[in-house]
Amino acid sequence: MSIIDEILSQTDAEQIRKETEHNYREYVNPFALRMFKNASLDIIEGKREGASVWDISGEKYIDCVTGAGIFNVGRHNPDVVDALKKALDTYDMGGWISIVRERGLLAKKLAEITPGDLKYSLFCCGGGEAIEVAIKLARGHTDRPEVICMDNGYHGVTGFALPATGREVYRKPFAPLAPGYKHVPINDIKAVKEAVTEESAAIMLEPIQGEGGIVPADDDYLRELRAICDENEMLLIFDEVQTGFGRTGKMFCAEHSGVTPDIMVFAKSLSGGLYPISCAIFTEEISDFLMAHPFIIINSFGGTSLACLVALAAIEYIEENDLPGHAEKMGARFMKGLSKLKEKYPELVLDVRGKGLMLGMEFPEDSIGPRMAYQLRQNGVISIYTFNNPRIIRIMPTLVITPDEVDFVMKAFDASLKEIQAQEDKLKK
Amino acid sequence: MATSEEIMEALTDFTEQCNTNKRLRRMQRDWTKLLHYVATDTGDSFTMEVIEGEIIKNEAGTNGTPDVVVETDSETMCDMFWGDLNPTQKYLRGEIKVKGTQEDVMRIDAITAVIWPEV
Repeated sequence: MSIIDEILSQTDAEQIRKETEHNYREYVNPFALRMFKNASLDIIEGKREGASVWDISGEKYIDCVTGAGIFNVGRHNPDVVDALKKALDTYDMGGWISIVRERGLLAKKLAEITPGDLKYSLFCCGGGEAIEVAIKLARGHTDRPEVICMDNGYHGVTGFALPATGREVYRKPFAPLAPGYKHVPINDIKAVKEAVTEESAAIMLEPIQGEGGIVPADDDYLRELRAICDENEMLLIFDEVQTGFGRTGKMFCAEHSGVTPDIMVFAKSLSGGLYPISCAIFTEEISDFLMAHPFIIINSFGGTSLACLVALAAIEYIEENDLPGHAEKMGARFMKGLSKLKEKYPELVLDVRGKGLMLGMEFPEDSIGPRMAYQLRQNGVISIYTFNNPRIIRIMPTLVITPDEVDFVMKAFDASLKEIQAQEDKLKK
Repeated sequence: MATSEEIMEALTDFTEQCNTNKRLRRMQRDWTKLLHYVATDTGDSFTMEVIEGEIIKNEAGTNGTPDVVVETDSETMCDMFWGDLNPTQKYLRGEIKVKGTQEDVMRIDAITAVIWPEV
């Protein structure tokens, strides 16, 4: 029996849990295991389908985390799975020193579906790597070092991406970091203007801050950023890792404001939740830097045959099923429910916000986010607070969620808030 | 209900456990905080000062501006300092109230995980 047959043939949930927890404790990360268990998020995923995931014990949950936007096409989407299965009959990842047909096809597709004149694609595996590509291109193109980023922004934790991530707690233990990064508050145009110098290469931000607490950049603010970049011959970079591929009700969040960046970065849902792939797409003008240095940014596993085929299948599914349109409708249904809960629990719920199916609920203090995550698990929903702002619980389900499933999540939120309100009242006494 | 003396005794034991644990001291070497502990049922309160992972002072009353405030009943507070319960589980169930950052909550849990791994 092969190792894979052996793993898949195990069906005793209790035995699997025991073995997995042991392996985590001994060989992966005992403290992470403890945190998962404490938070009641110690789900070992078994079956995955649509908006739902089942623990190996058979308990069903609606997934409202989705890896912060990996599973836009749904968990274990059968069409995308089928594409990968078919591809595996012929393909492996493909050679690094060769011309990859599927990479060309995906790049062409991305040029078609992204806004404005974004054209050339450079592929990697994860979001942080693609952010690094964007920063390198900005510096290479402009011959300037400085990148202006947002407080509380999140762009990953790799070498060039980490200093862009706007929170000290991620950066401090790893100093000295790459220099040349400035942070300003989001939606504060005056702060950006003050930060711009002759050394500024780019402004980089998420159109909606994900880990920062589901904070949308205002449309007017984005337009002003575009103007500042044009005026100062700087580049505008949008990190659409979480917001891309229909999540916010449009194929890309940039479309809401009509502002086109010079470089757009995406990852997560480009993979269909099945095969790692990320991308930085940029304009022809910026490509001049790469023409002079065609192999200066390379990646063994970036844009492999298999990854590109999966991405093409995922995009096809998103388009054919109008997932952006569905996300907009389901997002409106969520917002209606969330607004009612804000009225019902005025002491607990300060705000509800977001676009499409990238939504957040804000609480008055840090402790309530983790406590909500705990309560939601008891009520059949997986969710987690945003990492840069624990006062916000995120609602980011798959884009195939049904109206009935939205209503189920709303009932779970109501029950969880009711319990926390009771806890708060008890503590006050 | 636990008395002020019992809580201070538990706090003293806890301090010794923390300060003599080399692994913990190294792990928490970048953690400098002022913590207030408030017993909600008796009104007793305590201040703990931590500098670079070492608890350098425990005293009755709330002194200084805290980074973290922990509120719970006196019995739970004693149990917490004696390692008879998992504070994070109690926190997530709303039985211990922590005013502070989530990072600090994780640091407090890390202390428990090192000195009482079975809890």
